[in-house]
Amino acid sequence: MPWIAEDRRNTRVAQSQPLLTDELKKQIADTYFPRYPNKRACLLPALHMVQHEYNWIPPAAMQEIAEFLEIAPAEVIDTATFYEEYWLKPKGKYLIQVCRSLSCEICDSRKLTDHVCKKYNIEVGETTPDQRFTVVELECLGACGNAPVALINDVMHEDLTPEALDAELNKLPDDPHDYKDPGIKFASGH
Amino acid sequence: MAFPEPVLTKRIPLNPADRKKVWYNDYVATGGYKQLRAALDMSGQDIIKTVTDSGLRGRGGAGFSAGQKWSFIPKEKKTTHYLAVNADESEPGTFKDRHLMEWDPHQMLEGIAIACLATQCDIAYVFIRGEFHHGTKVVEQAIKEAYHHGIFGNNVMGTGKKIDCYVHRGAGAYICGEETGMLEAIEGKRGWPRNKPPFPAIAGVFGRPTVINNVETLCCVPHIMERGPAWFKTMGTPSSPGPKLYGMSGHLNRPGVYEHELGITLQQSIDMAGGMKGGAFKGAICGGISMGVLAQHQLDVKLDFDDVRFRGGCLGLGTAGMIVMNEHTNMVRALRNCVRFYAHESCGQCTPCREGSAWMKKILDRIVDGYGKARDLEMLLELEKTMGSMPGTTICGLADGTAWATRTFINKYYDEFAAACPEETTKRVSLPISRGNREVATPMGSNTR
Ligand SMILES: Cc1cc2nc3c(=O)[nH]c(=O)nc-3n(C[C@H](O)[C@H](O)[C@H](O)COP(=O)(O)O)c2cc1C
Ligand code: SF4
Repeated sequence: MPWIAEDRRNTRVAQSQPLLTDELKKQIADTYFPRYPNKRACLLPALHMVQHEYNWIPPAAMQEIAEFLEIAPAEVIDTATFYEEYWLKPKGKYLIQVCRSLSCEICDSRKLTDHVCKKYNIEVGETTPDQRFTVVELECLGACGNAPVALINDVMHEDLTPEALDAELNKLPDDPHDYKDPGIKFASGH
Repeated sequence: MAFPEPVLTKRIPLNPADRKKVWYNDYVATGGYKQLRAALDMSGQDIIKTVTDSGLRGRGGAGFSAGQKWSFIPKEKKTTHYLAVNADESEPGTFKDRHLMEWDPHQMLEGIAIACLATQCDIAYVFIRGEFHHGTKVVEQAIKEAYHHGIFGNNVMGTGKKIDCYVHRGAGAYICGEETGMLEAIEGKRGWPRNKPPFPAIAGVFGRPTVINNVETLCCVPHIMERGPAWFKTMGTPSSPGPKLYGMSGHLNRPGVYEHELGITLQQSIDMAGGMKGGAFKGAICGGISMGVLAQHQLDVKLDFDDVRFRGGCLGLGTAGMIVMNEHTNMVRALRNCVRFYAHESCGQCTPCREGSAWMKKILDRIVDGYGKARDLEMLLELEKTMGSMPGTTICGLADGTAWATRTFINKYYDEFAAACPEETTKRVSLPISRGNREVATPMGSNTR
């Protein structure tokens, strides 16, 4: 019954499975620890890794990162809140980021945003109810020569028109992990 | 002055259809890593002298002599030295480093290795912005190849020297392009620029001596080592020698990255990119929006580090990322876009920058919405004077960018701005509240989405 005071001292916080799994920890320890003189410097890569795994950075994960890197949770939050690329709230499976800076704006990037917003019936910054798409506008993507550009998850699309973007969006596979950058072909061997 | 053949882009054809990624084998087959071999037999001082003699100036925006910067690193090595490579290209209009990294990554790596030898650096961090997913993968792969072939590691080309090179990804903050902001980001902190002194050459990343160079600067180094300072000086102008990548974007027929010597005129650069599209020339941002704008009567300004400043009335050449605008461009909107960028990207440490840019954005929003008043222009120009490292009110140069963009836009297109701000406005000044967050800038450090 709600009006009976709980015995706080004996309250157990339900601890679910750790988000920073042993496998992730091993990856961080093996790849990033040797690169830097202290553990704190591995924070940005660690956050990237967690975001890659869960598509956003849950607060519990930040706590676990803090423990793992031996810094205070507040320091992790301090850093994570600064950078725009880290999502501290869940986002859609596909993140559509349309560039809005000068080169793109004078090449009609607004039309792209308007088109996407109309297509999914959402505003900039919102996610579709089925959690599939999130649309944001962001500052320069560093591809001004091919303006207007948009980034869908990890893949940059250049010289876009609303039609081209539409076609691209319709082609997206169900699972975002199947969506890979077609431009990457590595040399044979290593 | 002549520019007979491409230098930095000699392995990257102009036609996008002919381009092929240059991996290790292709790079070595076209003479790559020979200069590193030669540099291994030279003393650090000799390398620095060669680069200083060539007059190479930093291509990251400030135009500081690269050789001189290297010479500030303590000669006597007491601790670890670091090299931080600035590939956080986020200034609107700039997209040349991406071109170099995505197509010819080994050229940069050779430059990095030589720079490390010159300044006795043990570790190089390549700081790539988070949005360059493709570029990051390419550079990481190239570094892997380089380790495999003994370019990096504990035994550089069999000489027993030790150089390590790692990629460090940013996470979407323009301010991490500022050199000390970048160092903070490498340390895993907020990208807040530091007060100087101490300068990075004495106490940089992890408190150790650090060299910070732009990608293009480092890409020039192997060529200087190969053909010598005298050859380098045959290109460009006496004060700004060498080749330069021009990132041409905006209303052009063939936008893209073009290589030419420093000191070509604005008109020449537009012709190089296929001429104007959709109308006559109206203005060009000269090297990232921080530098300001060049107007119609300035088509003969030479694009080098000094002429843009003295005759062009801009902050400098910056990165030579030109955004060319035709006669149908609304300059008030263009300035609003620039100021919105700064309001969004200000890191929030210094009040004049944080509040000033947000305030200026509000004023410009008002003008664009048709509620401008004559007093607004005065206010913008007054605000602009209070911010920047030149009046000395801010830590870093981001605020100078805001100031110079505002100053040059309003002064050079005064009539257009004045027309948008009638003497007495009859409209009631009550703004519609915009829905959604389309117009609401989220300042850095309030990542609450
Ligand atoms: C706000 C701000 C942003 C900057 N962004 C970049 C950048 O994205 N890339 C870059 O190479 N330099 C950038 N710089 C310039 C660097 O601070 C630094 O001058 C440069 O990396 C030094 O390299 P260089 O001597 O090879 O040019 C920026 C400077 C400021 C003030
Ligand atoms: S000038 Fe602006 S961006 Fe630079 S440190 Fe100050 S507040 Fe941050």
